[in-house]
Amino acid sequence: MKKYNIIIILVFVCMNSCKDLDILNPNGVPESVYYKNETELTTAVNGAYAILQGVQLVDREYFFLHDLRSDEMSRGTGGGLEIPRGEVLDGTLNATNYVMNQVWSGCYQLIHRVNAIIEKGAEVEHSDIRDMRLGEARFLRAFAYFELVSMWGEVPLYTEVNRFLDDTQPRTSEDEIYAAIIADLNQAQMDLPYIKDIGDSDLGRASKEAAQTLLGRVYMFMNDYAKAKTELDKVISSPSNLRLVDDFFSNFTEEGEFNDESIFEVGFSEIGDNNWDNNGANGLGNERSVHSQEYSAVGWRNIIPSEKLLDEYERSSKGDTKEDPRLHMSFLFVGDPINNGTETLKDSDVSGLTSTFDGEEIKISWRKYSILYKEGPNGYRNTGINMRLMRFAEVVLMLAECENELDNPIEAINYLNMIRERPGVNMPPYPTVNYPVGNKTEILRAIQHEKMVELSGEQIRNRDILRWRKQGKLPSEPISYFQARHALLPIPQTEIDNSDKLTNADQNSGY
Amino acid sequence: MSKNYCLLRIALLIILVGVAPLVLRAQDLLVSGKVTENDSGASIPGVNIVVKGTGQGTVTNYEGNYSINVPENAILVFSSVGYVTEEIQVNNQTKIDVSLVTDITALSEIVVVGYGTQKSESITGAISSVSSKEIAALPVPSIESALQGRVPGVSVVNNGSPGTAPIVRIRGIGSISYAANPLYVVDGIVVQGGLNNFDTKDIASVDVLKDASAAAIYGSRAANGVIMISTKKGSDSGLHVDLNSYVGVQQAWKKLDLLNTDQYLTYAKTLLDNAGTDYPDRFSNMNTPIYEGADQTYAETNTDWQDEMFRNATIAQTHLSLSGGNDISKFYSSLGYFTQEGIMLGTEYERVNFRLNSDHKLSDRFTVGQNLLIAYDDRFNEMISGGRTQIKHMLHSIPYIPVHDPTQDGGFRASTAEDASNAENPVRIATMDKSNTQSFRMLTNAYLDYKLFDGLSYRFNVGIDYGLARQNITLPIYSDGFRSRPQKQLQKTHTITFSPTYTNQLTFDKSFGKNHINVIAVVESQNTTIDMLYGGGAFNSNANQELAGALNAVTSSTRNAFRLISYIGRVNYEFAGKYLLSASIRRDGSSVFAPGKKWGNFPAASVGWRISEEPFMKNLEAVSELKIRASYGLVGFNGIGAYDWQVIINSNTAAIIGGSEATGSYFDKLGNTELEWETTKMWNAGLDLGLFDNSLTFSMEVYNRDVDNLILQVPTPPSLGYAQSTTSNIGEMKNWGAEFQLGYGKATGDFTYNITGNIGFTRNEVVKLATPSSTLTAGQIADYGDNITRTEEGHPIQSFYGYVVDGIFQSEDEVFSSPSQNLPDDLADYDPSKYTGPGDIRFKDLNNDGLINADDQQYLGSYLPDFNYGLNFSANYKNFDLTLFVQGVQGSEIYNLTKFYTQATPRLFGAGVEVLDGWTPGHTNTDIPRMIDVDPNRNARVSDRFIEDGSYLRIKNLSLGYNFSENALQSFTNGKMRKLRIYVSSQNLLTLTGYSGYDPEVGSWNNNLLTGGIDYGQFPSARTFMAGLQLGF
Repeated sequence: MKKYNIIIILVFVCMNSCKDLDILNPNGVPESVYYKNETELTTAVNGAYAILQGVQLVDREYFFLHDLRSDEMSRGTGGGLEIPRGEVLDGTLNATNYVMNQVWSGCYQLIHRVNAIIEKGAEVEHSDIRDMRLGEARFLRAFAYFELVSMWGEVPLYTEVNRFLDDTQPRTSEDEIYAAIIADLNQAQMDLPYIKDIGDSDLGRASKEAAQTLLGRVYMFMNDYAKAKTELDKVISSPSNLRLVDDFFSNFTEEGEFNDESIFEVGFSEIGDNNWDNNGANGLGNERSVHSQEYSAVGWRNIIPSEKLLDEYERSSKGDTKEDPRLHMSFLFVGDPINNGTETLKDSDVSGLTSTFDGEEIKISWRKYSILYKEGPNGYRNTGINMRLMRFAEVVLMLAECENELDNPIEAINYLNMIRERPGVNMPPYPTVNYPVGNKTEILRAIQHEKMVELSGEQIRNRDILRWRKQGKLPSEPISYFQARHALLPIPQTEIDNSDKLTNADQNSGY
Repeated sequence: MSKNYCLLRIALLIILVGVAPLVLRAQDLLVSGKVTENDSGASIPGVNIVVKGTGQGTVTNYEGNYSINVPENAILVFSSVGYVTEEIQVNNQTKIDVSLVTDITALSEIVVVGYGTQKSESITGAISSVSSKEIAALPVPSIESALQGRVPGVSVVNNGSPGTAPIVRIRGIGSISYAANPLYVVDGIVVQGGLNNFDTKDIASVDVLKDASAAAIYGSRAANGVIMISTKKGSDSGLHVDLNSYVGVQQAWKKLDLLNTDQYLTYAKTLLDNAGTDYPDRFSNMNTPIYEGADQTYAETNTDWQDEMFRNATIAQTHLSLSGGNDISKFYSSLGYFTQEGIMLGTEYERVNFRLNSDHKLSDRFTVGQNLLIAYDDRFNEMISGGRTQIKHMLHSIPYIPVHDPTQDGGFRASTAEDASNAENPVRIATMDKSNTQSFRMLTNAYLDYKLFDGLSYRFNVGIDYGLARQNITLPIYSDGFRSRPQKQLQKTHTITFSPTYTNQLTFDKSFGKNHINVIAVVESQNTTIDMLYGGGAFNSNANQELAGALNAVTSSTRNAFRLISYIGRVNYEFAGKYLLSASIRRDGSSVFAPGKKWGNFPAASVGWRISEEPFMKNLEAVSELKIRASYGLVGFNGIGAYDWQVIINSNTAAIIGGSEATGSYFDKLGNTELEWETTKMWNAGLDLGLFDNSLTFSMEVYNRDVDNLILQVPTPPSLGYAQSTTSNIGEMKNWGAEFQLGYGKATGDFTYNITGNIGFTRNEVVKLATPSSTLTAGQIADYGDNITRTEEGHPIQSFYGYVVDGIFQSEDEVFSSPSQNLPDDLADYDPSKYTGPGDIRFKDLNNDGLINADDQQYLGSYLPDFNYGLNFSANYKNFDLTLFVQGVQGSEIYNLTKFYTQATPRLFGAGVEVLDGWTPGHTNTDIPRMIDVDPNRNARVSDRFIEDGSYLRIKNLSLGYNFSENALQSFTNGKMRKLRIYVSSQNLLTLTGYSGYDPEVGSWNNNLLTGGIDYGQFPSARTFMAGLQLGF
């Protein structure tokens, strides 16, 4: 009797140990069965926006990289700025720079995510939603490649998902990359809806106008102003009735999100904490932007506007007829109102360095994207304010430049004055005392001035400087440390070290 | 395939069970006697008595008496730690008194090897044993900590606040991308996770299997060595109660010299003046009250942040055991309580553990038994805020800032905008923010031994390892005048680990003439699931303790399942007690590898020759033991993720679309359908020598350990777009070394003493990575900018890499004429406040190109020591006993970031007094550079400036005890009390080191890979003073 019991026990034990060794990961769906329908494509596209929103890109390093490479910024707190950021600001960065590496990685992670969508989405049953999602994917891919090619030059080009470790690509010519960007944006224009047709629940998704605006930027960077004008004209004449809003500052507030001037913005919301979410993989509930904490008068204030930028604003001390109201809309001076006008900013609220402005030493900080417009100086925090990547004012200013380049001075000046005469700004039209517009060069100077004061701190100027420098359009070199190598960023060392297609000989010269 | 094996196994078992009753049963005899010590005649309790060739046995009681039922022709093996093992033929005797010869070196003992035991003299692999006495000697919560310095070739490094598992490495580093932890086997069961829940006082022995031949029996998981732990068993000598209790106080053994308020102001002004930066507003308002209504001003405040953070911390343990039994049933049970405060605020560890072990002899054929551990512990971890250690916050805090401020929400203060500095208040973090993990652990196994016939026995063992861990993170609302947390954050993570193991084992053990053979065959399976459930959310009130009603609530869960199926065989053969041979093979199938790659074979073999048993050695009286051994084998590693070869879609991200979170999905890694076993090839050669009746013993080992097919998280080029690296068998790494152990013992009259020493040398080299130029860098934190370690072919793993200091620039001329560091193109733009200036560090131009850039970096050293050593001295004089245990490492390097915090601050923070010695035009005779905000020359870059020798020698334990004489106790307590010992003891009493940080025992912060030996301000080891008593009834 006993022995049978034992046999039963042992057989049971044995059965247990004979279980299959094939255990599938239950924590997600296998990649091979995904991207099969509209819903999955939509979720996947959201995943692409998520990485655009992450810390590597628009939540942090993207704005730092652009801002620190422009001439718009100074240290706000002496040694407070972390070393890798200081290196970008001082032009001493090398191939291991953290900020630059993060943007590079973020762009390529975005590209990988959308490559999967575009590759697999082609097999999903055709529908308008599917095409829209593919259009968004193409827009995002073009956005990422334009970041890469405009700042690093020749970069590896991937338009399909990489399946193997040795599937790496070498550096690809800029022409090929631009061709890919243009192809994506042309296709995206066809697939994407107009802004007016994007429902409230889809705000934040790319539109036809966003693709056109981006393509305009790309053509201008390629020195093709005629094609740029074609694209930008489409935006001007879009049925979405885009316009310059009266309240300039509302472009940088939570309340002004997706206003009539908005073309493309990256959404943030006061959900959870910031969590320094690296690649959008730290789980849900960390949707805040860290911009206010980094730049605001109360906060780390690591970065403040450069004196050069402040000086660019028109005011009577420079002989201008009127002080540009955008000065105090863009920057917060000690003594300016905060917290919906119920308080003023005190000197003791603000840490760090002063700026010399009109001979006065005063603490001046960034106001764009700062939460102080509706809060008092009680600490600092990350916010839910969206980051506006494209707005109508830039389209107008780009068109002004295109018209000027295409020798249509009247149109150019008209566009410039559109910006100035809107109610909230209400600046006297060009020509002005300091900005005559009697010839093409003078008009270009006015455009450069207007673009700098209108779009300061909006990650536009870095690329403008790169472009104007290349095209010989700068009156003088705006970057104090500039040497030939600074035209391009170095290829990240981790890319060179881990790619079988690259060696140090492939590095951009000077690094 | 596995189905066939399965059927085979069933068939085998049916045959065995059927055959069993046919085997005849030998006549039994009750033997009893007393075991005494050879020299003193004192009785020896706890001697193991085993019927040779069986698992049957007993233990002597406290008077040294025993009794056992044995076959009339049995051979009894008497063994005890510290004595030479005796074998006695029963030959129908019923009373056998034995006197054991003292063997201080503990050579002849029973060693627990995988799936069995072996006499130490028969061992042919590299196995080191640690006795229960050594394990219990130190007041440490875990067995791992107790092993420090005890075993050559085993490195144990303290790695955090109380209750944090130390880093244990056997014979070097076996993995680059994974923690190379050894395999822990408790009472035959491979356990999950660490050993925190085990009370060191319940441990009977620890045996460390170091080489492939010893470890290969655990084949697939043995690449990093195996630590076998046996817990105490009962004896059949009546009931015994033992109480063991101590209480002590711990404190930091070292503090740094930090700036006081006046010194800080002097330093800050220099720092800012040099950079042309204005002073913070506070400097002109030092005489204002520290908060509204306070009597004290900032100028009058002088906070010593070290005194605020460090404390005298208590440590106490009480262990009560009850054991006993008769010749049928034996049991050991215990209840233990351990509590330890950390020497820094906010850290604490507490444990309650219960154990019940029992064995029952059901009949001559059947024996059953069980072991059960139930433990609960609660650990308050050091809080990490902003990715910085508490020590970093502490060193960075400003002395004129008060700790407390009742006007702030939460009552704490930190520096604010007016101070132009932003260290967090470490006392606030330690006091308010909490992260604790409560875990419940049950480890149990039950076995059935069935003696089929003489020499052949069958064992069925089932083990269950169950763990429930509940981590709570509570981050309350506060404001410190600068930072604030407007909502309370609550995060809870529950993790359930369930891991049953089923083992079927046949053992054949028999002597034929001069031949002795031992064969085992085992089939085993282990299924492990780890389920994690996370919930988190925010509240507008600090009152909420649980997640009900949380804002922005988030939940998630994951399951990781692992399965391992194994077939094991081993033959040990011994001829004439001098020629030894052992061969084993384990075939393992693991679920973690790709289909078609799941099975691996791990064979090993070893030989030994006991030369001392040869006739020609017999006239060499001095030589009591001489053995040479050699082994070779393959062991594997499968400690990777459960599903690393698979690619799944993650949905753990979201974008803000239409103002709310829209879930996003993506895949983030490259799958690998080729992922297979990693194999370590290892050879070992050893020699054991005993002289003068083993009063002097020596053993040595040399070994080589090659990891081939190394599983690497291959860093993909970022352009591939995968944030996660791909798991691939691509690397190769090698460790080699030597170990020595020496022991000497002597007894003269009332005085006995013994000394043992061990030393282990290990070298490491990375042989191959993914691509020849492939480098793995680690240690980067945004504050410093650069990576600190680099792993590259041809170098030891994670070596320090950076610039080389070449002195300090004394003049501008020298700056201009030296290789350019940070200078403008046009010297007309030169300004020493923005560029390299006098007082800055001159770095070596290693490639002589006149420019200091990334090409001027080199390897600067390794955290791996040249050798580890331990030295134990113990002596008894009459009723007094004394133990001195010294442990140390030699030749390790530490990257000292506490030095960075205290003297290289490129930002305005609190600092060490060394900054007052910084270079100035009037003070040039110094090696500390000028103090300058922003650090334009990057004096703080990764360089040998921060590399320090991490060698240390530490008096790990010094204790003095007094044993009340047994006779006196018996008469005084009417025979009730058997033992009373009182003792005082100190741990880490003295540390000799040149290291300038808090403690040279620098683990790996947060267990981050490839960052060992970087001192981010890790939790330092404490110095402890304690007193205790041991009572026996």
